[in-house]
Amino acid sequence: MSDAHQDSRWSIDEAELARLTKEARQFKGESLWSDAWRRLRRNRAAFLALLFLAAFGGVSLLAPFLPIPSPKAISLRDEPGTPEWLWSVPAAPTKAPDRGAATTRSTRNLWNDGWRHRSTVILAADDEGAAEKARARVEETSGRGAILETYPADEGDGLEVYASVPMLEGDAPEVDYRATDFGGTATCWDVSTAGADEPVGAVHSLRLQSADGTDFDAAQVSGWSVEARGRSVRLFLGRAEARPGLGDWVVAYRLAAELGSLPTAVLLDGTLLPGSAEVAWEGTPRGAQTVDAELLEGVEAMDLGRQVAASLAASPIEGVTYLETRHEDGYWEFKGLVGAMDRALRRARIATFGLWQTGNWMGTDGQGRDLLARIVWGSRTSIIVGIIASLCSLLIGVLYGAFSGYMGGRIDNLMMRIVDVLYSIPFIFVVIFLITVVNEYRTELEDQFGIDREKIFFLVIGAIYWLTMARVVRGQVLSLKNTEFIEAARVIGASTTRILLSHVVPNVLSIVIVYLTLTIPAVMLFEAFLSFLGLGIEPPKVSWGLLAVDGTQAINPIKIYWWLVVFPAGAMGSTLLALNILGDGLRDALDPKLRGKN
Amino acid sequence: MLRFLARRFLWFVITVSTVMTVSFFLMHSVKGGPFDGERKLDPVIEANIKARYHLDWPLWRQYLQYVGPFNLDDQRALAAFDEEGGFALWRSEGADGEPTRAFGGVLTGDFGPSFRYKDFTVNDILEESLPISALLGVLSMMFAIALGVSAGIASALRPGSGIDLTLRIAATGGIALPNFVIASFLVILLVFLIPLLPVAGWGTIQHMLLPGLCLGLVFAAYIARLTRTGMLETLSADYIRTAHAKGLAPRTVVMRHALKGGLLPVVSYLGPATAGILTGSLVIEKIFFIPGTGSHFINAATNRDYTLAMGVTILFTVLVYTLNTVVDMAYTLLDPRITLEDE
Amino acid sequence: MPILDVQNLRVRFETHHGVVRAVDGVSFSLEEGETLGLVGESGSGKSVTNLALMGLIPSPPGVVEADALRFEDRDLLALSDEELRGVRGNEISMIFQDPMTSLNPLLTVGRQLTEVLEVHERLSRREARKRAAAGLADVGIPEPERRLDQYPHELSGGMRQRVMIAMGLLCRPKILLADEPTTALDVTIQAQILELMQKLQREYGTAIILVTHDLGVVAGMSDRVNVMYAGRLAETAGAVELFDDPRHPYTRGLLGSVPRLSGDTDADLDSIKGSPPDLADLPAGCAFRPRCSFETERCAAEPPPLFDLGGGRSSACLERDALGQPEGGAR
Repeated sequence: MSDAHQDSRWSIDEAELARLTKEARQFKGESLWSDAWRRLRRNRAAFLALLFLAAFGGVSLLAPFLPIPSPKAISLRDEPGTPEWLWSVPAAPTKAPDRGAATTRSTRNLWNDGWRHRSTVILAADDEGAAEKARARVEETSGRGAILETYPADEGDGLEVYASVPMLEGDAPEVDYRATDFGGTATCWDVSTAGADEPVGAVHSLRLQSADGTDFDAAQVSGWSVEARGRSVRLFLGRAEARPGLGDWVVAYRLAAELGSLPTAVLLDGTLLPGSAEVAWEGTPRGAQTVDAELLEGVEAMDLGRQVAASLAASPIEGVTYLETRHEDGYWEFKGLVGAMDRALRRARIATFGLWQTGNWMGTDGQGRDLLARIVWGSRTSIIVGIIASLCSLLIGVLYGAFSGYMGGRIDNLMMRIVDVLYSIPFIFVVIFLITVVNEYRTELEDQFGIDREKIFFLVIGAIYWLTMARVVRGQVLSLKNTEFIEAARVIGASTTRILLSHVVPNVLSIVIVYLTLTIPAVMLFEAFLSFLGLGIEPPKVSWGLLAVDGTQAINPIKIYWWLVVFPAGAMGSTLLALNILGDGLRDALDPKLRGKN
Repeated sequence: MLRFLARRFLWFVITVSTVMTVSFFLMHSVKGGPFDGERKLDPVIEANIKARYHLDWPLWRQYLQYVGPFNLDDQRALAAFDEEGGFALWRSEGADGEPTRAFGGVLTGDFGPSFRYKDFTVNDILEESLPISALLGVLSMMFAIALGVSAGIASALRPGSGIDLTLRIAATGGIALPNFVIASFLVILLVFLIPLLPVAGWGTIQHMLLPGLCLGLVFAAYIARLTRTGMLETLSADYIRTAHAKGLAPRTVVMRHALKGGLLPVVSYLGPATAGILTGSLVIEKIFFIPGTGSHFINAATNRDYTLAMGVTILFTVLVYTLNTVVDMAYTLLDPRITLEDE
Repeated sequence: MPILDVQNLRVRFETHHGVVRAVDGVSFSLEEGETLGLVGESGSGKSVTNLALMGLIPSPPGVVEADALRFEDRDLLALSDEELRGVRGNEISMIFQDPMTSLNPLLTVGRQLTEVLEVHERLSRREARKRAAAGLADVGIPEPERRLDQYPHELSGGMRQRVMIAMGLLCRPKILLADEPTTALDVTIQAQILELMQKLQREYGTAIILVTHDLGVVAGMSDRVNVMYAGRLAETAGAVELFDDPRHPYTRGLLGSVPRLSGDTDADLDSIKGSPPDLADLPAGCAFRPRCSFETERCAAEPPPLFDLGGGRSSACLERDALGQPEGGAR
């Protein structure tokens, strides 16, 4: 209260003010939200649906923590495995697979699908005693418990020892490419060769110099390979002499236009690199282009295998020789926040469950992947797609609808007409068309903007499902705009922002929430639909649509793999059902006409 | 009525031309074009192909050619002198001496050549596949209406009974489950467990029943729900009491007085349902290997057969729009309180 | 012999919240050509009584019982569904409160009128149409032929109620149950409709049971009046006697709460205190007790029976004699 207002009407003493405020608070009664919550809780079906969704969503989001098999590791099986009983322990192979021409170390390793996501250190040992010592050394080096499998060696009378530990990030021999001070240009073109009709690609006159003018010595290079994604090219140059801790070089450059074919010959500073095809350079070059290139040097991480080897080199165990380390990656690595969360969850899983994991409670699919894990991970994908795409549609719809409703008049009329027009288009066809067109650009989008297919997917779905939201929000805003309490706020001089934030938004919010809960199942269905048609999430990732594809393929006259149909359908159906029920319940709970009633 | 139709037609033109223009320019903005394959083509062949599909023309001209109605292939298409030196409109021959049509493009119902099926036009493919899809669609719509309406009425006549509860649970399940899941279950049930129907293929009536049923079930569920609510609302109306008070038989009351009002929501749902059935047919045709328009569309989309994909998109836009208009008109026939001029 | 004889009619609804006795032991009779007024607040059971007579109480949850429900020489409760349908709309017909919602908006007026004749008199469409047009003309609707092809929403409120009445009288019924026929209408239209009903009653000799809460309507129309309260008859009397000398405190209250133009406009209306009782949870004894200013201890014992006061009058009040001489009323 300022001094200017010493009018008697405005002078209320503190106690009086406090009393009035308190009274006003009590008078306000139940808020919209607590009333809605109370009514939602009374609606038994909706409340159960909410609990179910919370549980199911929680389980799916915590997927890396759960002691379930890997959803992507395949095993060599010729048909889907039947579901196992809950209490049956996944059997570790009691004997090495039959020896024969097809059996190699890696197939033997694949054969064992007892558990996944592990690093296996393979050593040669003279006898069981040495093997135990080797296991102790692996455990000591990795700091994790190890499981030992021994098989008679292929040759001689020693043993092959497989010591497996749960895989953590850093176990795999990753190579980190660091910039060097070498750089230069690469000239590329397509050349016609004498022998063949087809022109072949070639990297002609690749020149690399360090900043001080020293030429890169081509003699250090033992071999090369090339990888091109769209216009960006990575040329791998192998080192002639392996040096510990250092990997290959990479020459990275970006072409102005794609070459017709990958280079089959590379000239480095005038020297034809080993492994290059014989190219008659005198042909007519086509599409010659000179681009900047940059030389990177690979630095290999001190992975688990190296650590064990180093430890054995430092203090050898008698009769134990390090052979190699294999890794079975069981998860998809996500970037950013999700990736960090996943890693934390995986550490928690290893701390809690160690190497224990469930059997194939729901059986496996045709490639030996665990169905339970695939359902959990697929639901995770579908739920994430559902939520993010719905939020996209929410954003577009609310902005569009609110703007249209707020402007009113001719603009509103026009904007709603556009919505009407969009409504009458069979959207699925346009969307499929759009997705295929966008697919043509996917490598570029991914390289230049970091937009991967999933993100495009979110945007595209969001771009369809905003129509209803826009209509609803616009209607609500339009009716709110002329209500008395908004007028009142305007009269006392509240700013537009304030009116929007404290009056319009809360009133629109309830209806937005209802439509959001009803949009999510629709979006999830749509995702499943597109993935089913092969236009959405792509294998090896998994989502409901892809599970359904597996399901339909599992139906054949000879044998019905019922679990491939029943379990995914159950998960999908119950989630969508629960979302629908919850949406209806929320609509009832937030319906102002039913406020305060039961 | 006429004013309504005129306005509808105006919006129809706007809608279709939007779809057509946007998809055309999207398609032609794709770098490389549809013939950039794995194999590098000989430049001469490539140029020939491009010329055949007019890809060497400037974009605006390609668009005009696509839309029509004039065939830009022929410079003298509008008017020409025939062999006897007489002046003739709309008759001529192309640059290579072959007779060409003076008219072409979407406006004359010609969607152009398919980019993938070398010797077929989009029209050929549609002619072949559309009857199949139409049959499937009509069949599933019949299933949807028959099952949905009867289930809805059965529910509404005895609300709260066991029948009502069962049907409502079934309807909720039908709405929640995607049609490919329902299809899987039905195939297991009706083909393998109780071998009534053949698995896949196309030709006989038995082959059509299962896909039609699978496609229709989801909509049957929606229709059952709508019918139930509509009938319950109507049955509790005052005029139903009046009808009973007149001494009409309960059957007459339901059939003559309740059904019409109770089914109004269903009628207005038929428009969206048609669009939904078109969408669903993509999946069902894939599952049952039916050579319908939906299968062709998916193939076209994944094989970069853009003219075919565009043709299907435009055709279905027209179809959905027309059906929506028809449904709106049917609605006014059923409910005298609504007039078309109200729009 | 009365055309309709109702003895101890009871209607109850078995709901989740308990049994609601909407009508609890109502007896009355109706003579040929007579107009019986049925008056009471909403929820007093007047409409339910009418519906019960027509056999239109939905069951479940409704249960209808009576010692006798005689229409001429037939027992309405013993009739089969089909026989009952033959009576409904034919010999006993009914018109409802709101002509807007009581006519089917999706069918033409003509169709709704002719179907009555098709069912009961087995007329062909053409004959039925002719009769329907005549019926519309009878109720004073101009251009009846054209109206037959119109839909209810194209007619005005008064016109619609005329259609309802025409529909009710098409088969020349012996009894017309009129459930608040004028409540939804403007006052001027009300008068026209009531006049019309009286005229037609004279012409056809139809007996009318007129349900209303409007005492003015009752006074103008009825020969006798039944006052209902909480599903029971409170008082029965000839219209004139009832208005002159009410013998039930509830009737007194009703009459007192009608505003009058004549007299002291500053005087407060003598409204009945409290609110209508919850039928699922009636007080012990007389249901009107909590709102009654004549209440004594005797009233709480049991619901008072209907006492015959002679001269065709009866009252269900233990203190009926104390009401003999009016005191302090608004009159």
